[in-house]
Amino acid sequence: MPVAISIQNVSKTYPVPLAGVRQRFRIRSRAPVEALKEVSFDVREGEIFGLIGRNGAGKTTLTKIVATLVQPTEGVVKVAGFDSVRDEERVRAQVGLASAEERSFYWRLTVEQNLTFFSRLYGLGARDAARRIEELVELFELTELRRRRFGELSTGNKQRMSVARALLNSPPVLLLDEPTRSLDPLAAARMRELIGSLSRGARRVTVLLTSHNLAEVEELCERVAVISRGRIRATDTPQNLRAEHRQHERIRVVLRDFTVERARQLLSGAFDGLEITGEAEQTVVIFTREVGDERLDRALRALHDGGARVVSCETERGSLLDVLETFEREENGA
Amino acid sequence: MRSLLLLLGRVRAFVVRDFQLAVSYRLEFFMRILSILFVTTTLFFISRIFKDSFSTPFEQWRDPFLAWITALPFLNYFMVGFSSLANAIRSEQAQGTLESVLMTPINIPTLIVSSSAWDFVQATFHSFLYLFFGWALFGVEYRGNFLLACLFLLLTTLVLASIGILSASFAMVFKRGDPLGLIIGTGSALFSGVFFPVQLMSEMAGSGFRIVSRLIPTTYGIDGIRRVLIQGQTFAEARQPLLTLLAYLAVLLPFSLWVFSRAVRRAKREGSLIQY
Repeated sequence: MPVAISIQNVSKTYPVPLAGVRQRFRIRSRAPVEALKEVSFDVREGEIFGLIGRNGAGKTTLTKIVATLVQPTEGVVKVAGFDSVRDEERVRAQVGLASAEERSFYWRLTVEQNLTFFSRLYGLGARDAARRIEELVELFELTELRRRRFGELSTGNKQRMSVARALLNSPPVLLLDEPTRSLDPLAAARMRELIGSLSRGARRVTVLLTSHNLAEVEELCERVAVISRGRIRATDTPQNLRAEHRQHERIRVVLRDFTVERARQLLSGAFDGLEITGEAEQTVVIFTREVGDERLDRALRALHDGGARVVSCETERGSLLDVLETFEREENGA
Repeated sequence: MRSLLLLLGRVRAFVVRDFQLAVSYRLEFFMRILSILFVTTTLFFISRIFKDSFSTPFEQWRDPFLAWITALPFLNYFMVGFSSLANAIRSEQAQGTLESVLMTPINIPTLIVSSSAWDFVQATFHSFLYLFFGWALFGVEYRGNFLLACLFLLLTTLVLASIGILSASFAMVFKRGDPLGLIIGTGSALFSGVFFPVQLMSEMAGSGFRIVSRLIPTTYGIDGIRRVLIQGQTFAEARQPLLTLLAYLAVLLPFSLWVFSRAVRRAKREGSLIQY
């Protein structure tokens, strides 16, 4: 599949302003900030690609480099074959950026006035701009708010505006920085549905998504890159990442009409991480096992034979959070 | 042709945006008109102090009210040329909108022209008000070729806009503390002969001040406009300040555009576009 975004050996060090002058006059200054180190990966056309990492890991810097707002110190970023430094205007024509930054709009202008202004900067004619804005306010359920000032919108609606603006020129590449950060659960689900539909439509949009909501990344992204302290630590599908970095899962069994003591008698010594507690009329049994081993079967059989009534049984599978934590632990241990 | 239409469309978008922002502060619009009326009236009554007892060797200053009323609106215009871009950049940085504007496929010269466009529309209106109040309320009569006066206005504005681009470059990189703002902004009123003849200053304070006055482009712009509107000079008679302004423009415009593109690159390298 053709590559939409190519990131090759990108490093970014934020220099200290006037470093030469400071050195000359021996003014103490902080060290330059190394935000990215030799980052490389490709995002394929029509793919939803996730970028996860802790605060300060380098996600936003990388997004801004792709958006041409920050220049890399080393390396090359290409969007649809255009270099982000040498062909920045062409790159910007290919890219829409929706950040969680509320201040990126004119607060005293209305929803419609804001969108009209930006659509004209994207080079849309008056008629095309009006039609596109009509489509987008409808798509993002902003129709009733179109004459409302941006400053009067709720945080969630401001967030929708940001994504709507990013789509004004129907860009083939969309950069989404925390697109559901301030949305309520229903609105967030609607937004995820929308993002998913962008890559499924006739004109498949490539999405580079950064998010702290790992469940969201798992749900939406075909592939994910884990970034930690400016380095890409892994790039794979969410399933593969989970499988590689989580060998264990937690099992939670809820029993009725069965005492804690009786459960202990049956299970003690045979299971790792065993916790048995009483909650109201229920007894809750928690233990860990290796993914796919026989311990769940053994526990259920023992409880059943002992006369317990199993009300529910839940498995807490490894998540991208575990993947992230594994890398963090490795970094801290190194 | 297509790129020209695109440029005009973008300039229009900025003008419409700034107009919409301006009308969202309605009171300020009327207060500004009122303040121009007050300034014009004050200057008229100050000039009445010297009425019938005023004699001066400086031809442009025989009627001080006329000298002031021809210089003030143009100084206002020149200052817009000088400060509008830096102000626009500062304002976009402070609002946090600069990144979103620079995310669109807009090039640097377009950004420069477009960001300042509304300020020029406003300055044209305000300058017109000064001249209009002088004529309608206080009986001022303007002489000479208005087209030639407009040429001086255009040239001086472009020269000051070039210095304004340098000032905006400073704002882009260092955010605040622009030295050009101090020198050109406050210096123009003092050294370019808006309120008194520059010759007076050198006679009383020494030739150093005359050199400073000669270095400031506003001096030539105001002198040229007074030569045309007060003395009624022709193109040939007023060519000296015209040529000086052209020389300034030839050097400053390309230099300032080069510096501004470097400043944007530097801000992108430092990741400080959005900082204020």
